[in-house]
Amino acid sequence: MSRSVRVVLLCEDRQHEAFVTRFLREAGWERRSFRVERAPAGRGSAEQYVRERFPAELQAVRTKRGERAYLFVMVDGDAQGPTGRMGSLEAICGEYGISPPDESDQLLVCVPTWNIETWLAYLRGESVDETRSGYPRLDRPRDCAPLVKELVEMCSDRALRTPSPPSLQATCTRYQQLFGG
Amino acid sequence: MRPSDCEYRPGVTMGRVIERVYIHNYKCLVNFELRLNETVLLLGANGVGKTAVLDVLYGLRKLLTGEAKITDRVAFHPSTLTRWQARRMQQFSIQAVVGDDTFTYRLVIEHMDDGRRSRIVDESLVADGTTLFSFDFGDVQLFRDDGSEGPTYKADWSESALARVVPQASNTRLTAFMSAIQDMVVCTIRPSLLGAESTGEDRQLNRDADNFANWYRQAVLENPSSTRSHVEALRPVIEGFNDLHLQKSGLDSRALMLDFDTGEDVDGLNRTHYELRFDELSDGHRTLVVLYALLHLRRKGDRVLLFIDEPDNFVALPEIQPWLMALVDLCEETPSQALVCSHHPELIDYLGPDHGIVMRREAAAVTTAAPLAPPSSENGLKLSELVARGWER
Repeated sequence: MSRSVRVVLLCEDRQHEAFVTRFLREAGWERRSFRVERAPAGRGSAEQYVRERFPAELQAVRTKRGERAYLFVMVDGDAQGPTGRMGSLEAICGEYGISPPDESDQLLVCVPTWNIETWLAYLRGESVDETRSGYPRLDRPRDCAPLVKELVEMCSDRALRTPSPPSLQATCTRYQQLFGG
Repeated sequence: MRPSDCEYRPGVTMGRVIERVYIHNYKCLVNFELRLNETVLLLGANGVGKTAVLDVLYGLRKLLTGEAKITDRVAFHPSTLTRWQARRMQQFSIQAVVGDDTFTYRLVIEHMDDGRRSRIVDESLVADGTTLFSFDFGDVQLFRDDGSEGPTYKADWSESALARVVPQASNTRLTAFMSAIQDMVVCTIRPSLLGAESTGEDRQLNRDADNFANWYRQAVLENPSSTRSHVEALRPVIEGFNDLHLQKSGLDSRALMLDFDTGEDVDGLNRTHYELRFDELSDGHRTLVVLYALLHLRRKGDRVLLFIDEPDNFVALPEIQPWLMALVDLCEETPSQALVCSHHPELIDYLGPDHGIVMRREAAAVTTAAPLAPPSSENGLKLSELVARGWER
């Protein structure tokens, strides 16, 4: 059967990939329905790779408007946070001469802030602060599996444990807008 | 930005079985050491010895399952001696983690100058410092699990004496190692050799997978439920595919058949279903059937030990990453291990950053292997592009 990818995931690293792909599989998506474009490891800024790749991927998914094809982007917020990262993505679209992303785009931009470890700490039950770095990395990316399961359950109940990181809340809201899940 | 994920991190893996392979005086590999994690992409130029590594693992498996003598072509025929070495001794060693034990298996073969006679001069198995088996110039000394001495006897020099040890209550550690070795699948899929006829059951898949139908038949007998997950994995991959089954085609033979649904009555004759023999499929579809079988057909337990050359051959581009994702998930979620040799950009970009090991021919024709460590730079090129340019060093 010809494969038709429904989600292209543009992300920084293996931890991002493991988090999102496990989320999608837990949420009932087939493994074959997504394709991963991960920044080359160990070479320069992963955020820069995602940003520079973004316009082409956005243009590509816009050609699929009306079809069930989506672009997921995951980039750590660091000190810039979701607003800063979205601003950078909009700015690079301007540089490439394409219109910036808007609500009509089949696009989900996830900006875990400070980074994905902040979300993981939250999902472990910790109270987290997005303005600080330093939450521990997992030994192995796959170890996020039970935490992702927790997130899927909270999403299906449409109720993140409060207080939740605003960047995660924004991602869940957009996911629900797109998929109603 | 976060630190690189590509560094070699021994000891953090769950499913690794074979940790280290040592090969000396075999084809182009001299004093060669390869350290493995649970998932490995083996990279390197043509002729550097990637396939030779798989040949050694296959030869060891054939030897240790008692299916081959040392001079068989599939094992360690004298022609496998390194041509630019005068020494007649070959040495092989594998270190493997099975259960709570770390095993070291060592084999030394001497090939006589006449090029016709060869013998095992040393074979041993040690678990965490405790010798479980030794063969020294024709004499076998067995040991019990606790290291105490067991029987001694004479054995044939031309085959593995370890393969002939009968599993007993006193040698469960040795048996666990042998069981892991028997689980190893080492293959290069050559679809043109894949037939539909099964004339029996084979526990082991051949190096070129040409006995796939027999291997599948054994899997059906041994673990029928795993064939269901294989079928379910294939359904979205092969359009219209519904089921796979063995159909009686002779007194003892069975033909591997695939059922297809057309989805509709295309010619008004009520034909919504048809069958194809496995060997009537395209090369790509035959390859995909085998690739997913390698992930889903389990001998026992959850373990898959897969060592495979160029799995991307014949496979359509959109089908490569989904299989790789399934492979990585398998290795991460079960006590499985996979080593893949490939030059394909999809594999290099998906597996290379985290799992790449590069074999290189250094000065004096010595081949080395080291984890791929992409240089830090701002060029943003994909790893496959760096490899294509020879800039991955």
